[in-house]
Amino acid sequence: MTRSQWHEHDWQLIHTAPQAPALHMALDEVMTEEVAAGRRAPTLRVWEWASPAVVIGRFQSLRNEVDSAAAKRHGIEVVRRISGGGAMFIEPGNTITYSIYAPLSLVEGLSFQEAYALMDAWVIAALGDLGIKAWYQPLNDITSEAGKIAGAAQARRGSTVLHHVTMAYDIDAAKMLDVLRIGREKLSDKGTASAAKRVDPLRSQTGLPREAVIARMMDTFHARHGLHFDHIRPHELEQASTLAHNKFASDAWTAEVP
Amino acid sequence: MHGEYKMPGGKLVVIDLEVHVGHLRQVQVSGDFFLEPDSALHSINAALEGQPATADEATLANVIQQALAADVLMYGISPEAIAVAVRRALHQGAEA
Repeated sequence: MTRSQWHEHDWQLIHTAPQAPALHMALDEVMTEEVAAGRRAPTLRVWEWASPAVVIGRFQSLRNEVDSAAAKRHGIEVVRRISGGGAMFIEPGNTITYSIYAPLSLVEGLSFQEAYALMDAWVIAALGDLGIKAWYQPLNDITSEAGKIAGAAQARRGSTVLHHVTMAYDIDAAKMLDVLRIGREKLSDKGTASAAKRVDPLRSQTGLPREAVIARMMDTFHARHGLHFDHIRPHELEQASTLAHNKFASDAWTAEVP
Repeated sequence: MHGEYKMPGGKLVVIDLEVHVGHLRQVQVSGDFFLEPDSALHSINAALEGQPATADEATLANVIQQALAADVLMYGISPEAIAVAVRRALHQGAEA
């Protein structure tokens, strides 16, 4: 198999009304499998959050990463996603989250490091258009001189790669530190002692409303790779709703790594 | 017992385990690393289960490596990094 180019694929855009955290987790699994099965063209999905959440990585320990009592106190749902990587603290309106469901051929022959950078090259360009000099910080961060902007994670299913990213638009750092347990060991080679200082949100860097940042990002993707408006098919939503209920909202999955 | 190791240029590897009569029990590897397929996590836990608490890093890394199928992909984590985290958990447990 030779590596394919972005423009060789018929990219679809999905950007719907806000959805619950567990449904987002399920949609990522369903959409990845739909693209893998050839029933759906490669797709970019922009998320809107219906409620606050902590999203932990596939291999993270629930109790090591999250103060569950604090999460409950703040009304924050804890969900586990299907990809590895670290915990994300989400409040509606405070993050920009997107998923790319891409054919594996797009990253064929690339190292993991190259594959992550390739999947977000359009975002680096979009941020550049917004006046932010950003770059890829291996293994899986988008950063600028002012601090970390986003974290990415990939998961592979058959012939498809899921690449999803959460960008900080605005952040309640005090609440985040109340809910997430961020240990010293994790920060040991980051050169900073303060977890809150590690993130610098897009709002302060762009001065633009969140919707405007998203619109500019979509424009950039469209200009570079082509993009057509699409919607979630009824059978996809039905599958995802079932999966959200049976798997992603269940303690068995969320505490799978206790 | 609990041990953590941030692999240089990689991700955080966390180990929680118990020691019963000189052997590792209830070994749980966790962290913000990437592993494909995700079922490989269970293979790693299972490989460490029952290992002698005196096993050194090289031995533990080898045990993990042997347990991994050829198609397993690791990003930000390695058998050696997991072994370091195990030794740290055992060391900190010994001090406690």
